[in-house]
Amino acid sequence: MRLRHPATGALYTLREDGEVEVEHEGRRGVFTPAGAWRSGELREADPHLLGWVGGPSLAPRGGTFAAPAAAPAGPRPPPTLSRGAPRGDPRRRSQGMELGLSGRKALVTAATRGIGLAIAKQLADQGVDLAICARAAGGLESAKKDLESRGVRVFTKALDVADGAGLRAFVAEAGQALGGLDVFVSNASGGAGTGENAWQANFEIDVMSAARGVEAALPLLAASEAGAIVFVSSTAALEYLGVPQPYNAMKAALIAHAHDLAQALAPRGIRVNTVSPGPIFFEGGSWQMIQQAMKPVYDRALAQCAIGRMGTPEEVARAVVFLASPAASLITGANLVCDGGFTKRVQY
Amino acid sequence: MASETATEAARSPGISYQQLLDTDTRPVPEVLRWQSERELPAVRVPIERYTSRAWHDLEVERLWKKTWQFACREEEIPEVGDRTVYEIADLSVLIVRAGASEIRAYPNACLHRGRALCDGPGRAAEIRCPFHGWTWDLDGQLKRIPARWDFPHVERERTRLPELRVGRWGGFVFVNFDPGAPPLAAHLGELPRHFERWPLERRYKEAHVAKRLPCNWKVAQEAFMEAYHVVATHPQMLPGIGDANSQYDAWDSFSRAITPNMTPSPHLGWEPSEQDMLDSMFTRSVDAEPLLRVPEGMTARQLLAQVSRMQLQASVPSVQDLSDAELADSFYYTVFPNFHPWGAYNRIVYRFRPAGNDPDHSIMEVIYLAPFRGRRPPPAPVHWLGDDEDWTQAPELGFLARVFNQDTANLGRVQRGLHAAQHAHVTFGRYQETKLRHFHALLERMLAA
Repeated sequence: MRLRHPATGALYTLREDGEVEVEHEGRRGVFTPAGAWRSGELREADPHLLGWVGGPSLAPRGGTFAAPAAAPAGPRPPPTLSRGAPRGDPRRRSQGMELGLSGRKALVTAATRGIGLAIAKQLADQGVDLAICARAAGGLESAKKDLESRGVRVFTKALDVADGAGLRAFVAEAGQALGGLDVFVSNASGGAGTGENAWQANFEIDVMSAARGVEAALPLLAASEAGAIVFVSSTAALEYLGVPQPYNAMKAALIAHAHDLAQALAPRGIRVNTVSPGPIFFEGGSWQMIQQAMKPVYDRALAQCAIGRMGTPEEVARAVVFLASPAASLITGANLVCDGGFTKRVQY
Repeated sequence: MASETATEAARSPGISYQQLLDTDTRPVPEVLRWQSERELPAVRVPIERYTSRAWHDLEVERLWKKTWQFACREEEIPEVGDRTVYEIADLSVLIVRAGASEIRAYPNACLHRGRALCDGPGRAAEIRCPFHGWTWDLDGQLKRIPARWDFPHVERERTRLPELRVGRWGGFVFVNFDPGAPPLAAHLGELPRHFERWPLERRYKEAHVAKRLPCNWKVAQEAFMEAYHVVATHPQMLPGIGDANSQYDAWDSFSRAITPNMTPSPHLGWEPSEQDMLDSMFTRSVDAEPLLRVPEGMTARQLLAQVSRMQLQASVPSVQDLSDAELADSFYYTVFPNFHPWGAYNRIVYRFRPAGNDPDHSIMEVIYLAPFRGRRPPPAPVHWLGDDEDWTQAPELGFLARVFNQDTANLGRVQRGLHAAQHAHVTFGRYQETKLRHFHALLERMLAA
């Protein structure tokens, strides 16, 4: 640990023996952390900065960041999906896989930005009527406009999903407004953070909104001929991400709960799956913020993505939409990792 | 007392706080634009005010027994029957939740032979003295005396627990020993308006650390009422703190300092880069990678504000509307006599009290009040640090612990110096020590009574 005194320009070095060496204008001195002179021609140093350098619990800042790996040779952009002849073109050999979603009804939480909005848009493109919620009314309005322009009905409500009673009411109102419910997607998250408050927030937002939402939606889903539940979890639940935090543990709880629900609800014709995205980059998202504010963390995560880039919300949405659709009729209790090779474990 | 009146306060060179607000990326709330008219007399105060037992005794009689004082948080006694103890000098108060929305305070002494009725936080349906078992209802009505026949002279009606005044604001419970004191609202004055945007009742007690300090309680709190000491006590911060650009205001019973962050100190003889400013906050070793890097086209101030927005996102719904100033700067209020809540989302609340009747020792408490979402997390219990422990032994305080260590390193030596002094007065700066002068003006008024 070495500090430069911002006023005097002296350099303070904490030595392994616990003493502090100070260097100023070519003179050196060695001091105890409390400020007592030990040796050297420099006999006076700022005692406060000495305390700062050598004071209690001073450790080198937690781990140095590894230098970012050399940029892989040109990561490929996400592929375009409309390859070959357009739909309806007689040269087209196949109509592609039918998802069977058209005319169904889905509820997606926190669907005004990022992954949630991408899921809602793709469901709308499949002809699915939607109920969405988010905390801010402003975002809901513009999302509603966008989704309606895709030709489906949209029910919205400004809501904090941590509010259990409010969430239950929203699910019931959504069922009424849309005339039933086939798909429930729990996407809301309290995000990263540490401390007691973050534990509470992630518990309420990530886990309990999913658990309560499913409870409330159960009668509606059971009445559907294609009931499906998808939870959006995270690869943070699967591999160490560099900081122990409630987000990781709560996302893990979500996967376990989805697994149990899958077993319990299968007899009622409801499938339950989880999608675990790796780092997903979008305008205004956490990874953009991290790229700006914590470049080394961003670089390290990027280097870990085997495909050489982070994912997009649209790529995650496609996985969610597939699992939510009758096309995935045999799949229940699965956790679909969607991370471009970010995690290194074998996905048994 | 020698005094002068500062008519026109000279200010430090460099950008004023009001000018800095003009550079904000968001609308700045009115509360940060309010400034006081200052006319504060106390420029010198006698040293014995910090050292003499006689002065301390006068404070007990005329200050502590007369003024409103922060006793506990409402969240510490959430259920009927919950109780806690507040102590000041050698006075002790039992505070109990007597009803769903009713909090009562009693002198913490049994009416029989005086034993403290309560030794610390707890819950029970009644108030029972552990010595002989005299028992009262939560509302102070005498309920039971064992061997009642032995006390024919004790009348039930006259044996109610005497009650102290209780007031509430911002999730804080205040008590006042003086039945004739004006109501708490009158004491707080305009303060609630200052905190409208940052409601302290919607916070929970995330950390609470207490430590006995070898100095008078006023010496201790005055170290946290100005930014003038930063240049000598926290030199590592200078690249990123506008210490001398701070704004100081004083109103009726409270005062406020605002110290801007991520703007260089006018004391610095060189011009730090945006990155230098940010690094100064994190004590970056000269050969380590910065923890955060200021991106091109952004200022350290904007970055710090953005990072704070990210951290507060889950718990503060209005976070996108908060100005950079509210997320980056330090707003430290002092409510007379010893209560120091910080504005915006800094989380800090300090309280300073004399340690018993010893004018040479005090108790400093650091409380973090954090916003939360959903269910209120349980309040942190008091973490007492031993005399030979320092603030870093309370990891819940985070990086500020080492800043507190720098502050408290001075305090015992101030007290020793005050005893050694052959001169009669300490002297205060006209502007940067506004809050101290305001405090002493109010203190003199109380003690002159």
